[in-house]
Amino acid sequence: MDKATIICRCEEITYEEIEEVIGHGAASFDDIKRLTRCGMGACQSKVCSHLVLQVIHEITGKPLQEILLPRMRMPITPIKIETLATNSTEFSTVKSVLDELELEDGKVK
Amino acid sequence: MIKDYETLIIGAGVIGNSIAYHLSERSREKILVLDKKFPLSGTSGSTQAWVWVHNKNPSWYAEFSMYSAELYPYLSKKIGDVEYKRTGGLSPFFNEADREKAEKLAEAYREIGIKIKVLTRAEVLEKEPHLNPAVAGATFSKIDGNVNPFRLVDMFMRAAKKQGVEYSYYTSVTGVEKKNDYYIVKSTKGIYRCKNLLLAGGTWSREIGKMLGINIPINQLRGQILVTEPLKPFLNYTISGMRQANNGEVLIGYSMEQAGFNRATTLDVIQETANLAQHYVPAIRKAKIVRAFSGIRAMPEDGFPILGKIPGYDNLYLAATHSGVTLAPLIGTLMTELLVEGETSIPIDRYSISRFS
Ligand SMILES: Cc1cc2nc3c(=O)[nH]c(=O)nc-3n(C[C@H](O)[C@H](O)[C@H](O)COP(=O)(O)OP(=O)(O)OC[C@H]3O[C@@H](n4cnc5c(N)ncnc54)[C@H](O)[C@@H]3O)c2cc1C
Ligand code: FES
Repeated sequence: MDKATIICRCEEITYEEIEEVIGHGAASFDDIKRLTRCGMGACQSKVCSHLVLQVIHEITGKPLQEILLPRMRMPITPIKIETLATNSTEFSTVKSVLDELELEDGKVK
Repeated sequence: MIKDYETLIIGAGVIGNSIAYHLSERSREKILVLDKKFPLSGTSGSTQAWVWVHNKNPSWYAEFSMYSAELYPYLSKKIGDVEYKRTGGLSPFFNEADREKAEKLAEAYREIGIKIKVLTRAEVLEKEPHLNPAVAGATFSKIDGNVNPFRLVDMFMRAAKKQGVEYSYYTSVTGVEKKNDYYIVKSTKGIYRCKNLLLAGGTWSREIGKMLGINIPINQLRGQILVTEPLKPFLNYTISGMRQANNGEVLIGYSMEQAGFNRATTLDVIQETANLAQHYVPAIRKAKIVRAFSGIRAMPEDGFPILGKIPGYDNLYLAATHSGVTLAPLIGTLMTELLVEGETSIPIDRYSISRFS
């Protein structure tokens, strides 16, 4: 592939940029993603993931089936916050910072 | 073949990398950093990355965090743009009863030089017009901000490499032995010998401690974060619960669950986080979530950093903490002083592991 080839269209990441971080030891899709943002764009790697695997394979010679695939996470397609929300005002695991502040004898420690 | 190093660091997260970078500024001796995976595969790659000070408690811990936040501008000058932004931090409260608590915090922290303002409802809405008008007030401090954790670790690593630090990734440490004046570190890629051994294994610290027969009281605390599509800039400050990144994405979440090393994202917490988002900023309900991720905090048993030498072992050092993004510049600086000079410019005795015995 040409060095200037765009591998990730959403984030405009080129072959060369991916090659560079592979040179730094990146070996999986996620390694590359965290360093370059390749795959973090609007399509969430639907378009680029296979190309990236191809690039890793081409540069490192690692067999395709041994290259770790990106972790699949909810949501599979973008989803509105209001669709996810339940309108409950009870928070069991989600905290507010000020709630965590404990006073001792009415004083800040 | 055994390879020799002066200093070996286990863990290439933000903490291990900050120490490697700062140490390589001061020392020309050989440094090696090992990671069982790749930098950012641990907690440093799944974090909110607020550089947060103003409601850390007790005051000595807030003061410690402040010193670290103060180092960020200088650090960015040295290692390059890490997208550090001192936005100011805003912690809203929705219950008027919290105002008294907030005032007490502001008063207590004035003494240590952390300026906190307790805002009225009108002041909050003036600063952050999109916040829920039902807000009662907020604490606000200029010292807080956020950073891009990916760039931070990447820049630390690149700068450290330029200064001669060696890295070996996908190299899992499987055993450590003390032999005469050296540590023998066994890994999946080979055996290393070093004089100084530094443990920076984050949430895996307890497991690494076991290899040496040391109890490192670090537990796991999961956090889940939602990421929106890029939105036009509309949040002016780092809000405790959400921040807007440079590219317009909003990162939302402040959840804590005990789930061991399980890094799944779960629907219940995602829903609660969506509720939090709507509650804080009603207009965000129309925004789309494109990604959810989860990370495992390294949580010391008493919540405070564990730093310094491990008593009873020569040249064995430990740095394990929560809020490692906030504290990385300071921890890197102080651990370097400890290694190079044998003492630190800011006392770290209260953070010693010996407090647990
Ligand atoms: C959801 C969430 C939100 C957060 N928000 C904030 C925030 O807003 N502000 C803030 O300051 N902090 C925040 N934190 C905490 C912060 O992210 C962490 O404190 C920090 O990333 C810890 O860095 P670390 O280098 O200690 O750990 P890590 O990044 O986990 O690095 C440890 C490394 O050690 C390696 N390792 C482990 N065992 C071995 C072994 N046997 N051999 C070789 N390598 C090994 C791992 O692979 C890993 O890469 C948050 C955390 C979470 C989960
Ligand atoms: S093409 Fe890479 S994220 Fe869309």
